[in-house]
Amino acid sequence: MRERLFITTMLLPSMVLLALFYGYPIFDNLRISFTDLSLLGMKKGGNWIGLANYRELFRSGDLGHILFNTFIWLTATSVLLRLLIGLGIALLLNTRALKMLRLASIARFALLIPWATPPIVAVVIWRFLLERNGFVNEALMGLGIVHQPIAFLADMRTVWPSIMAIMLWNTVPLIALSLLSSLQTVPEEYYEAAELDGATNWQMFRFVTLPFLMPALLVLGLMSVFWSFNNFVYVWLATGAGPGTFTNVLATEVYLKAFVDFRLGYSSAIGMVMAAVMGAFGILYLRLVARRQLEETL
Amino acid sequence: MLRLLAAGLIASAAMIGAVRIASADPVTITFRFNDTEEEVRGAIDEFQKENPDIKVELQRIGWKDARNQFLREAAVGEGPDVAHVAQVWVTEMGDAGATLALDDLIQKDPPPNGFADFAAQDLAKGKDGHIYGLPWTTDTWAMVYRTDLLKEAGVEDLPATWEDLRKDSEAVHKKTGKAGFGFPAGSSASGAMWFLANFYWWSHGKELIVQKPDGSYAIGLQPEDVVEAMNYYKQFMDGGDNPQSNLAASDAHDPAIMQALVTGDQAMAAMPPNTYKEVLKAYADANPDKPVPFASGPFPHQDNTKSSMIGGRMLVINANSKHPDEAWKFVKFMASQAVFADYYRTQFPAQTSLLKQIDFGAPLKGFAEQFPYARTWGAYASGPVPIGTLWNATQRAFGKALSGQVSTEDAARELLAEIGKQMP
Repeated sequence: MRERLFITTMLLPSMVLLALFYGYPIFDNLRISFTDLSLLGMKKGGNWIGLANYRELFRSGDLGHILFNTFIWLTATSVLLRLLIGLGIALLLNTRALKMLRLASIARFALLIPWATPPIVAVVIWRFLLERNGFVNEALMGLGIVHQPIAFLADMRTVWPSIMAIMLWNTVPLIALSLLSSLQTVPEEYYEAAELDGATNWQMFRFVTLPFLMPALLVLGLMSVFWSFNNFVYVWLATGAGPGTFTNVLATEVYLKAFVDFRLGYSSAIGMVMAAVMGAFGILYLRLVARRQLEETL
Repeated sequence: MLRLLAAGLIASAAMIGAVRIASADPVTITFRFNDTEEEVRGAIDEFQKENPDIKVELQRIGWKDARNQFLREAAVGEGPDVAHVAQVWVTEMGDAGATLALDDLIQKDPPPNGFADFAAQDLAKGKDGHIYGLPWTTDTWAMVYRTDLLKEAGVEDLPATWEDLRKDSEAVHKKTGKAGFGFPAGSSASGAMWFLANFYWWSHGKELIVQKPDGSYAIGLQPEDVVEAMNYYKQFMDGGDNPQSNLAASDAHDPAIMQALVTGDQAMAAMPPNTYKEVLKAYADANPDKPVPFASGPFPHQDNTKSSMIGGRMLVINANSKHPDEAWKFVKFMASQAVFADYYRTQFPAQTSLLKQIDFGAPLKGFAEQFPYARTWGAYASGPVPIGTLWNATQRAFGKALSGQVSTEDAARELLAEIGKQMP
């Protein structure tokens, strides 16, 4: 009993801080989402309009398109590619050949550069590269692959792959380095035993490497979902949600409604829906990962 | 003796007071400017020299964030003393209580030739009739042309109709392989398609927002008017005379467009005079001994219609400013003839008296010709839907149509529905 009291007392300051810094903004945002507050009317405040903002959001003709972009492109595709490419790079960095050639450290260092680049800088660099007269177009035309420059960030066929490329360039290194550290914990004897049993490379990967990597993959995957779903920077800076509204996602819609249309109430409603979706992911994360980690620790 | 001591004490106190007053810190006001520092640095230094009791702290912010940032700050009692704003923001900023009514200051210490000398006075007023901004610069847009490319394509006269503009653009592209009318077709919330769409509508005697005789507001366009404008601009994209990559450009001063004009990869563009001046300068710097192959001309219009806007910037004083008198002194100075003559040469002043003194010169002749066929935003600015919302909705709809995301018919319908939703 005394131990519980001690733990509670020790946790209390953190809980109060959390309530202040997270709880208050969330509840205030919830309150605003039931009003028609406008950026032009911040001094006089908004009027209570109940669920009108939520009704408008769910009846909006653009919602399906925005959800598709957010869930399929921004989240599912980017997370999947991030994990696959990250895993590929980690396996490559862990190969004996690379270690023997003493290239592993150089490669690891090189990998840190894109990761250390702030997202805003990464997008600006890539925008230059993907411009009409940018390096990518010059290279493609120089190699005779295309005859006209491609409008990578304006053509509907290339805009999402281009955004993906920017996101992956900037974020894959973290995944790769995290997986590499997990790979280095796999005991060498397991591979030797598998080799003696006549296992193929694929079987060794499938039955030895992958089980060791699964916890890391799960954590990184779920964390990536959080980073991607809420992400605003890559889409907004690369395309401004265009061409038209082709790359509009929930995060850019929040910005557009709040700071272009000045509808803070409506924008808060979108924010609350995003928070609810992330809350669901959070519960999933707790059930799948955190609880198991806690049980293992205890 | 006592009297002498008292007199001495009084004299000392008076001297200390005088020294204190003399050494009092100058009043510091902040000025938030949205273009490059070098454009106003000289003027600010001059103001400080003339007014040693006022120090001006320059803050800079990009146009894209300027309006939101100022509104957010003003709502919580913060923000710069003086802000550089677009003319079309002033009414809504005044109504939001973010800016100070200038009526008393103007009455007490009027600008030379009075407030009546300024263009766009309607946009300077709030719905309550008070004046909330001093028009500072005008930047009426016009068309600019590479005359050498037009000649190469066999085009002898600058286009006078929208049909001619299309035909000439196509001719340039087909005969020279270069871009014809390269306009920024991107959908950014504050992009240039908004202007081009309105110029097209205005020149045909239509407008997006109209004020009815009873004072109420309505949408002045039918879906077919919007479709017609979208189809008109889409031809340039489909024909290839406006490169597809311009779907990623949203501003007249996008480097891709300015560079293409300078290098001769594009024959026609639409822009404000300060951007055009930069193009002329860049060309002259790159080709010091060559004559300038540029001309400007008005957008197509009828005798009784307008085809460009009297746009520009205003200076406003924050409603929270603790130094409104000093701020007004600064605002008045910045709008003076000396500033435009000696420092702020990239822009045209907003005073009619000063505009009349300007020699536009041959390359800028088209801008002078455009002025009589330019108008203010009128009902757009005083109407119930914030101009930023109209702008964004139009940009998005044109972006959708020009990129092929949806048909022009669907994009037009969506645009009018979106605006209609917000009309009372």
